[in-house]
Amino acid sequence: MSAKPPSVVIRLGSHAEKEYVLKLQSLLDGIIVGANLFEASPGATASLIRRMARGSCVYFIDPMTYAFGTYKDRDGALRDDLDWIKSDQQINKQENQKEKDQKTETVRDFKRSYRALSEKIGFPLNESIRRKRAVHPSDLTSDDALAEFCHAVAHYQTTRLSSVLQQDELLAKLFARAPSLAADLPSPAAVFAPYFYNEPTTAAEWASLNIRLMKATAKLNLRLPVHGIVSADVSHLDDPTFLRILRTELPKTGISGIWLWFSRFLEDQAPTEQLTAFGQLVADLSKSLAVYNLHGGFLSLALSSLGLTGISHGVGYGEQKDVIPVIGQSTPTVRFYLPPLRKRQGVLEIERCFKALGIASPEDFHAKVCDCVVCRGVVVKSLADFSTFGELHISTPQSKRPAQTPAAAKRCRFHFLLTRLAERDWVREASGAAIVRALDEAFETWGKQPTLVSQSQHLPRWGSALEGKTRKAST
Amino acid sequence: MTFRSERQLLDPVSAFLARQRFPIQDAEIPFYESRIDLYGYSEDQHLTLAVELKLKNWQRALKQALLYQLCSDLTYIAMPLAATRNVDRELLAAQGIGLIGVGDSGRCRVLVPAELSPETRSHYKEAYVAFLKGRSG
Repeated sequence: MSAKPPSVVIRLGSHAEKEYVLKLQSLLDGIIVGANLFEASPGATASLIRRMARGSCVYFIDPMTYAFGTYKDRDGALRDDLDWIKSDQQINKQENQKEKDQKTETVRDFKRSYRALSEKIGFPLNESIRRKRAVHPSDLTSDDALAEFCHAVAHYQTTRLSSVLQQDELLAKLFARAPSLAADLPSPAAVFAPYFYNEPTTAAEWASLNIRLMKATAKLNLRLPVHGIVSADVSHLDDPTFLRILRTELPKTGISGIWLWFSRFLEDQAPTEQLTAFGQLVADLSKSLAVYNLHGGFLSLALSSLGLTGISHGVGYGEQKDVIPVIGQSTPTVRFYLPPLRKRQGVLEIERCFKALGIASPEDFHAKVCDCVVCRGVVVKSLADFSTFGELHISTPQSKRPAQTPAAAKRCRFHFLLTRLAERDWVREASGAAIVRALDEAFETWGKQPTLVSQSQHLPRWGSALEGKTRKAST
Repeated sequence: MTFRSERQLLDPVSAFLARQRFPIQDAEIPFYESRIDLYGYSEDQHLTLAVELKLKNWQRALKQALLYQLCSDLTYIAMPLAATRNVDRELLAAQGIGLIGVGDSGRCRVLVPAELSPETRSHYKEAYVAFLKGRSG
């Protein structure tokens, strides 16, 4: 990974997204893959990591252990039934149960990927599957059991790539003939300690367990850096006690990096107080640790001026993530990432601003909106070309509403990724004051447009959070 | 008549606009992620008109109407007459967006006239004109 922060690590949500990371491999700092994705498609994931982890592009495996913990659902009920790692599955009926036309039945059972992960890690994940009950802090009171768990999770991350590749007959023969090839397989850039969501009603217990997990993993004396993940509700950014625990305890764990994940922390909607609290936490932790935002956007990138090392997010979304799973959501439209606003917007809201901002030609568009390769290839003959970013079609005869065409979604994703990488490069060189100035300028121009007024209010909040923090950090 | 749904505003507004030389019309026309409640075309003036129907929330209607200015020459918000009292008419006028009040009897009145939109993009407008002309045969 590049020595100069911030780095951008792309989180792979599915193999349908591999096209994006493969095309941008030489520009990315890294990729992060969930262990559940690895277990869902081991061969494809291992092959992708092998292709991606070259040069300065590194990889991480998120062990996803939090998925075996508890959470509060949207109705406020504390859930420990592990339902969210289950799915409705079609199974063949027993012979004696067969009916005339129904040979299968639907049962709700654990997803194969999580079941496989639990089998590879062992206790306490396998036990939670067997009992159909989430892991509780009380399951890990024994230091020996906890150390065993940490060892298994670390072992999984360091060996999963080679073990999958060894199962490929051709590769196994090749490795047997040339062991150095096997030895040259890339290792993850860091090993994550197991982690669980700091469920707000029992956050102190979870925080204590998570810190013990980090300490135990750091004690394994791995030849790789050990990182931790803090997964907590956004409300904890308003909780000085919780933040104090992080500030005082994380540096003592022996890990070298921490990835922050405040569930439902939407950078563009969060009040200044939360943005400031987040920035202060980054500034404090970065004195002794490499600090990342696991699901971050532009503000997090800008917080590199306060010490943030990097961010990760998905290829077309994922700059925030709710720890509570969203079930049954339709495919969202991939909106156009508007670089001056550092935020996605509808094509029409943007197009409505062109005249007032003196954008009358493709050249103006490239100068004032975006000049990435995608935009230069799309907005060519006239400004009307811009509308192709929002192209719609009726995807199936049954569709009631038009949906974004796959081509338009792809354009928006590539444009977003290229813009994000350009932002990274710019932030690496820009001063905190220059970033704040750019946000102010965008607010004074784009933020005054009637279709974007309400969508631009984050800009001054970001500016003041960065300014306040910049001043504090320098004193 | 008390209007309980936006749909109830459609017929009186549609008839009113037909009398204003916008006889070629269609309702619920998709425009990217939204749907234009009523879109009309005046062949002799070669002008198009879009209407957002709302019972109460005029600010939300304004957001929609601002976008419709991209595809229509004239854009109106139509509301029950009683609800128009709360509308910031100066703000609408400043954006060139018109306001139609629909009385309980169904009688429509232009309270703020729409202005020709400087924002209209021919690539959107012409596509809708062709669509409406095709439908009207």
